[in-house]
Amino acid sequence: MMSLSRGKLNTAYTVNSVNTDHEDIREFLFTLGCYPGEKVTIISKLASNYIINIKDARYSIDEDLAKAIMV
Amino acid sequence: MKIALAGNPNSGKTTLFNAITGKIEQVGNWAGVTVEKKEGDVKQSLNLRNEDLVVVDLPGAYSMSPYTSEESITRDFVQNKKPDVIINIVDSTNLSRSLFFTTQLLELGIPVVVALNKGDLTQKKGNTIDIPALSDALKCPVISTVSTKPANNGLLELINAVIAVGKSNKKQIPPNISGAKKASTKEEFDKADKKRFSFVNTVVAEVERRKVSSEKQTIQDQADRIIAHKWLGIPIFAAIIWLVFSISQSWVGPWLADTLVGWIDLLYAGVASLLGEEVNPVLAALLLDGIIGGVGAVIGFLPLIMVLFFCLALLEDCGYMARVAVVMDRFFKKVGLSGKSIIPMIVGTGCGIPGIMATRTIKNERQRRTTAMLAPFMPCGAKLPIIALFAGVFFGDNAWVGTSMYFLGIIVIIISALIIRRITGDFSKSYFIMELPEYRMPSIKRAVISMFMRAKAFIIKAGTIILICNALVQILQTFNWQFQVVAETAPETSILASIASPLAVLFIPLGFGLWQFAAAAVTGFIAKENVVGTLAVCFSITNFIDVEELALVGGSAEVSSIFGISAVAALSYLVFNLFTPPCFAAIGAMNSEMESRKWLFGAVGFQLSMGYTLAFLVYQIGTLVTTGSVGTGFIGGLIAVALIVTGIIYLMRKGANSTRISAEMQSVKI
Repeated sequence: MMSLSRGKLNTAYTVNSVNTDHEDIREFLFTLGCYPGEKVTIISKLASNYIINIKDARYSIDEDLAKAIMV
Repeated sequence: MKIALAGNPNSGKTTLFNAITGKIEQVGNWAGVTVEKKEGDVKQSLNLRNEDLVVVDLPGAYSMSPYTSEESITRDFVQNKKPDVIINIVDSTNLSRSLFFTTQLLELGIPVVVALNKGDLTQKKGNTIDIPALSDALKCPVISTVSTKPANNGLLELINAVIAVGKSNKKQIPPNISGAKKASTKEEFDKADKKRFSFVNTVVAEVERRKVSSEKQTIQDQADRIIAHKWLGIPIFAAIIWLVFSISQSWVGPWLADTLVGWIDLLYAGVASLLGEEVNPVLAALLLDGIIGGVGAVIGFLPLIMVLFFCLALLEDCGYMARVAVVMDRFFKKVGLSGKSIIPMIVGTGCGIPGIMATRTIKNERQRRTTAMLAPFMPCGAKLPIIALFAGVFFGDNAWVGTSMYFLGIIVIIISALIIRRITGDFSKSYFIMELPEYRMPSIKRAVISMFMRAKAFIIKAGTIILICNALVQILQTFNWQFQVVAETAPETSILASIASPLAVLFIPLGFGLWQFAAAAVTGFIAKENVVGTLAVCFSITNFIDVEELALVGGSAEVSSIFGISAVAALSYLVFNLFTPPCFAAIGAMNSEMESRKWLFGAVGFQLSMGYTLAFLVYQIGTLVTTGSVGTGFIGGLIAVALIVTGIIYLMRKGANSTRISAEMQSVKI
């Protein structure tokens, strides 16, 4: 297990957990389809942001969130 | 029949709403454009049997889970207002996420019709969706729609399906998700939601065939690497903003304005000759200088504003806004804001009110309030005439004046955000996540519609509030307190002058301690366009844009001599008007978004202090550089500014103390 922030581009990772005290962000990620067992792919790393693919959509997340998503 | 439009953010609800009602609500290519529900009737051409069909457009939502705090307008409406039919707009390019919300809507018992929107984009990607199979799986009608197309867009079929299910009086059959109905604790909801997603995954696997799987790199991803690049992102953003304001303020705008102003001059001359010599001079002056002159001076800037709105609409439509948020997040995070704060600021360059309302997509309360407080620092469309006037009269119409005001706006926002973070003592971190919509060709048609909508609003405002204000200003400066017409040699005896003069004293250290400027700044709080109108009335200038005489493009020595202030003082006045509190309507919007009197008064006080301090610095430093000595009223102004600064430092100190106390007690919020 590692955090998504250390992941490689273009590799489909399976989400293991969302490691944060903030319940709402975990809930929010869930509604987007980012929850244990689902796939997430890093498309690019820009500035300090990550562009990720969840389900069929692109999202920009910051490094803190990328660190919280364990894969 | 009441129809609710519900769906994920940026699935095209408002575009569909506009298409079926014929209304012109604001749309944009990013998540969270619509922040309030909107109502309208289905238009005649789609409502062939003349039914009573009311449509309600709701803000986007990803889910209806009772444990997510956001998107409550949508949830409350669907659950409490009991619409007869729900149209669930599903982005067909993102079926696997959108259907999660669909399964929740299906459980409410209200008949659902799915509008499978963006059908054209799915086709372009070479994906296919088996619509009959999807309809079978969801047990509700599914209609493919392309709401951006004028005809053959599936909307008639959609409305017919809605009428059919609405009249059948049958309850919606929910999908078979075990445990969803009985869930009452959080664990049970979570469990049910997971089952929901696996139901969706099964359905999608059955009905959807994708040519290219979505996690593969596309040209759009390549474009993002440049547009949202760590270092290139900022210059690209700067270049785009510069382009927008050069087009509206230097290239196309003034060229159009020249023509319009010619007409206003003709009107003035026509009315003047019509009135002849017989008419009471006071009445003639009220009509000519007060109303035609004052309103005309404002209307003259209409073309500049229209071009600005046209450019902004293109920008909002193409998908760039979400990328700017990504670029700015890094910087805004350092000062305690979110990257999302940039969107209210860009929207605010059109008009502050929708800008302030756009802050609702920011979840962190302090970030939201701070953004609502600072977004008005971006010069809005109504401040554009002030910028254009002073740029034209004192600075030979240089594009840099306008553009630099926008960047000064951003710098002031960043500094202010730092100060506010200190004052509130809230250093909590928040996560940033934002959906990146696909780029698309902006629609010229939509931009034109948006432009004329704003133009109409501007003309209405000019013909009502601004007309009344100008007439009032004209009357107040014509009469003295004994209601006698003031002598031309003694304009300072007028009612207006005697009210504004005490205020003007405060402005001496800023370089414009004349009652005319004070009066204009005050009427500016009613509507910022009034600044230009009041100046026109007070100085009896018919219009500011004239090819032959007082040209916007150079040759404006006459106006500057009428104003009787230096270029530095003019810049200071410009800065003062841009960075003081916005108009009352925008302050009202701040009030409703901040939901706190303390924040509202703090915000207005802060904005006043900021405007005063900046104008003081511009005038005094500018005068020192240009003439070698400080300007008038330096000592008095310095004391005032020192008091402001001391006050703010005191509040920051207090904030720092409260941080230490609350750090242990409070868990950080997102």
